Amino acid sequence: MTTIRPFTCEDMLKFNNVNLDPLTETYGLSFYTQYLAHWPEYFQVVESPSGEIMGYIMGKAEGHGENWHGHVTALTVGPEYRRLGLAATLMNILEDVSEKKKAYFVDLFVRVSNKVAINMYKNLGYIVYRTVLEYYSGDPDEDAYDMRKACSRDVNKKSVIPLTHPVRPEDVD
Amino acid sequence: MAVRPQHMHDGGIVERRLRPIYDWLDIGNNKKALQEAEKVLKKSPSLQAARALKALALFRLGKGLEAQVVLDALADEKPSDDTTLQAMTISYRESQQLHKVCMLYENAVKSEPTNEELHSHLFMSYVRVGDYRSQQRAAMALYKFAPKNPYYFWAVMSIVLQAKTSEDNTKRGILLALAQRMVDNFISENKMEAEQEARLYIMILELQEKWEDILKFIESPLYSQLVPGSTAQASIPYLKKLGQWKRLNVVCKELLWDNQDRWDYYVPYFDSVFYLMKENEEDTDSSIDNTAEKCHEFICQLVESMSSGRTLRGPYLARLELWKRLAVDGDPTSLIGSGLALCVQYLRVFANKPCAVPDLRPYLGMIPQKEREENCREFLTCLGFDENSEPESGSLIETTFAQRVVTYTDLGKEYRTSTVAESESAQGRNSLSGKLLILGKPRFPPDVGLDTCKVSSFTLGGVHPHCSPRVEKLEFGIRAYVIPIHNVVVTFNIIHGRKLCQSADDIQRHISCLAAWRLVAAPLSSTGALELAATLRGHYMRCLQKGLVTSNITEFCAADHYGILAAHHYFYAGVEQQSSAPIVEALCLLELVLHHSPANFHAKLLLVKLYHLLGNALAADSIYQRLEVKHIQLVSLGWLHCARLAPACLASRALQLLADTRAFLKHHGKDSVEHLTYAYKYGTFEKLVELSAWAARLEACGWGAAAARDQALLAQLAGPPALLHQPSRLPALPTDNRDLNVIVNYEPPQFQDDNLKARTFDQEVSYLRLKDALVSAIALCIELADSRPVEEKKGHYEQLNTCVEAFSGAMEKCRQLYAEKERISISAPFPSRIIAFVNSPVPYRELYATILRLVGELAISRTTAAHDACETVARLLPKAQLQLQDEIAVKGDPVWRMRDRLESLSNYLEFIGIITFLLGVCNELFSPASAKKSKKKTNHSPDEIKTSELLNKLNNSAQTSIAFLENILDEWPKYEVSIDEILAKLSLDDKYQSPVENKLKTGRDDMLNDVRNILKRKSKYLKSLLQ
Repeated sequence: MTTIRPFTCEDMLKFNNVNLDPLTETYGLSFYTQYLAHWPEYFQVVESPSGEIMGYIMGKAEGHGENWHGHVTALTVGPEYRRLGLAATLMNILEDVSEKKKAYFVDLFVRVSNKVAINMYKNLGYIVYRTVLEYYSGDPDEDAYDMRKACSRDVNKKSVIPLTHPVRPEDVD
Repeated sequence: MAVRPQHMHDGGIVERRLRPIYDWLDIGNNKKALQEAEKVLKKSPSLQAARALKALALFRLGKGLEAQVVLDALADEKPSDDTTLQAMTISYRESQQLHKVCMLYENAVKSEPTNEELHSHLFMSYVRVGDYRSQQRAAMALYKFAPKNPYYFWAVMSIVLQAKTSEDNTKRGILLALAQRMVDNFISENKMEAEQEARLYIMILELQEKWEDILKFIESPLYSQLVPGSTAQASIPYLKKLGQWKRLNVVCKELLWDNQDRWDYYVPYFDSVFYLMKENEEDTDSSIDNTAEKCHEFICQLVESMSSGRTLRGPYLARLELWKRLAVDGDPTSLIGSGLALCVQYLRVFANKPCAVPDLRPYLGMIPQKEREENCREFLTCLGFDENSEPESGSLIETTFAQRVVTYTDLGKEYRTSTVAESESAQGRNSLSGKLLILGKPRFPPDVGLDTCKVSSFTLGGVHPHCSPRVEKLEFGIRAYVIPIHNVVVTFNIIHGRKLCQSADDIQRHISCLAAWRLVAAPLSSTGALELAATLRGHYMRCLQKGLVTSNITEFCAADHYGILAAHHYFYAGVEQQSSAPIVEALCLLELVLHHSPANFHAKLLLVKLYHLLGNALAADSIYQRLEVKHIQLVSLGWLHCARLAPACLASRALQLLADTRAFLKHHGKDSVEHLTYAYKYGTFEKLVELSAWAARLEACGWGAAAARDQALLAQLAGPPALLHQPSRLPALPTDNRDLNVIVNYEPPQFQDDNLKARTFDQEVSYLRLKDALVSAIALCIELADSRPVEEKKGHYEQLNTCVEAFSGAMEKCRQLYAEKERISISAPFPSRIIAFVNSPVPYRELYATILRLVGELAISRTTAAHDACETVARLLPKAQLQLQDEIAVKGDPVWRMRDRLESLSNYLEFIGIITFLLGVCNELFSPASAKKSKKKTNHSPDEIKTSELLNKLNNSAQTSIAFLENILDEWPKYEVSIDEILAKLSLDDKYQSPVENKLKTGRDDMLNDVRNILKRKSKYLKSLLQ
């Protein structure tokens, strides 16, 4: 049971039950406000009837020419609200917005170890486009999959032909 | 970061020269940047961009004055090239001189009146200072020679902001009408092209409360072209405003058909139904739901329409909501059954989801307390579990297998399936009355008789020929077979044996049932709570042994909740008995849970809370660090840990975290205005208003203001010797930014304190005001200690007196207001510090007021008054010691009392910090350092000699107080807790070493050492003041 609405600044005061989860990063304040100011339609929250934040998605549109695409910056669902299909709902919203913006594809980065997430994205139609070596810093650094799904504008699905070689983070635009 | 030039018209020579300066600035090596700038300036001394970058480097090196000279000279030259202007803008921004940026660009556009970029920078410069009128002018000027939509709407938005901030209603009306006309013109010329422009238009109409116009606009082709597919949803709030309930009803129903899980559609749907019910109009239009029956029918249809596969919570919760709303003025039981049954049904269907209990929470309160408590076990047993159901791995062990044939006869009252098996097992034959209502498909529903048996199959047979089972009506999501019975033979297989939790899903179901049960049941006695806690701990241990704890480094698991629930019950027992032993049990268990589930933040939060409960802030800190609280969380979760450090006598760690909190807020304060410029740049006008409100909210953050004052006062006690840093003014209306829902609470609804957030915040604000008065008074004392002649100090002296009076008055008022002890709850902040402070037997009001007055009197040479004050404090101090001793005397369990005692001690310590500091100020007043240095022998007057004597006497009293405190510390109780016994109960393997005992011990010892060191430093300083 869900209320879907745009993320607002005040949500930052109550997203702890989602953000205290170790795989969810709490960014500096200006990171959020910048997304709010630039891509508000890409920043949506799902809220429970009692007003608790169940999860949210942050994204943006970027790139030139045929690289014009929607990007998932963060997608998170609180532990209590998993396995309800909320992540899929949020991804749908982001894909819809990307369609409206006439993007060629939607992409996202995910830790190669995050099997649950990778599977979910695969079920939603995403493919591993390429591996980005040591994208996540830590001890040790971890590779990322750059996963993609073509939008309707990419009629020939050119954007989702996987690369055969991994790339370095500096080669990712 | 410095903004690099984007395009230069000199073939790149200048750019090449400037590049190294940018590079150094970017990596923060301002010294090198300065050198590089000087180098460039040697070759071309008049190069404005290089001078601007030099100024920036100087600023960042802390050479503000030099930088200002360079900037002023540059400004006089009225530069208009982008590189120079950008670099100057950054300097001005970093030195908080935003208005100068406006002047800079005003001059620049004069020299290049058609430069679009300069004009847009000018506009942004007005945005940064919030000059809406100038914004409007700049935007219109820009639009005139560069007719682009964004510029036009910048002007419109600037007008809206003028209207929003205008207090004059007429003016406001005129401005809004103007803004509307501007957009209307645009629409009629077919020029509107972006979603955000449409939203701005709606915002303008909203401010004028023109709901009908909004609705018209939303339903126009233009809107659906700009914002495709959202007309229906967008119209909801305005249909509500206009009271068009019938339309609202239809719109919401249509939306719900396609989105059965959208709460934001159910709420207005219910609103419409309940309004239409009140209107009580006979309506022939059957598509409109204007009765409870129709509403219920609609929800049932939604359930029916759900595609197979996933069961959505929406319609089920909607029925609970319907019950709740109907129950306000009546009893909806005849229509949809009892609230209790509905809640139990919800649990039955969704118990395998961790959200089941959070979903149910808001509805449990609607069941009357008595009914709730009497039937609480239904929640526990509705899926066949009870509190003793043991988690088990592997397959179900079948103990007995039997086929039973039961014949039911007679008609009569309602039959409940769950009673069948019970009475069947007791009597073998059952007389059944009423209609047989079997929930579920023709398999025996899972709720039948699972207390003691598992039913694997079910068939109906031998039914009276005229009464074959048929589907009579739809009972909420599940087809119900209603069978008018004469004789029914029910055959089912029973597998005797206890219901076991076999899988993660089963464990989650069991957890949900347990949690829901505790949320509705009457609170247990402490013995009962301890017994249940032990049972739950047993379940957790069993899960560990059987490999059912399936957490990994990033994800926790259902079984953890046995430990969490057990910890809650240990907590209840601890509070009830005022005893630390159950709390230590909880700590041991939670540390174990965390050891196996390092991602479980619920365990972390509880550990932080419970370590603080026992007054061990260092142990709490060890867990807090694992929560990785940062950025905005420093504000929303400051109450949890940071605010508790000082009262737990952990001044040095408190200072660190307070500094982090303040740095975060300060940084945001600087950043926030930049975000407004982004919002204009990207045309997100709605967010613009939101971002301004957000910036204002954080600017007035109550916790931020408290952190600043706490930091200033604590620095007197524990910081390195430095002048008091006076915080910025207290916000007129401090904002509450605490997240108090982060710790989950399992207390029944009657303990939910709806007023808690407001009340505790009110207390915090009162405390903040007391602290503010103290800090202000100390700042005034410092001002008074300078070498001005006495006459010039009168103003400050008066201010000090006012301040001290305000402090005294507030102390007295707060003592009356906050006399009551607050209940300790696991999820709420600990009782505010103001309660212990104003109710302390130590006369802090007199102590602070008199020592502050002493400085004032000395400063303006009112010797007699100064002598009086000095003697008063010296007389109060020894008494205060005894009063403190009384306050912290051990009554009952010393470990349980630890937190309270430390808080009392911390209040006294803070006073010691301040009196020591103020004695230093007195010393400076009475015999300035300059006079000492000259080593001139001056003849003192008898008054001066007496002052000196009295100050020495007070100094000695303060030192005695410190010695007294040191004695108290030497006898500070230890955490004598029998951990071995607890660990034995946890039956752990050898590899796991519980950290609890060590954390409690070292936490105590390190804290005491920290306080001892502080006291030593204070004592040494006081000795140095003796004359």
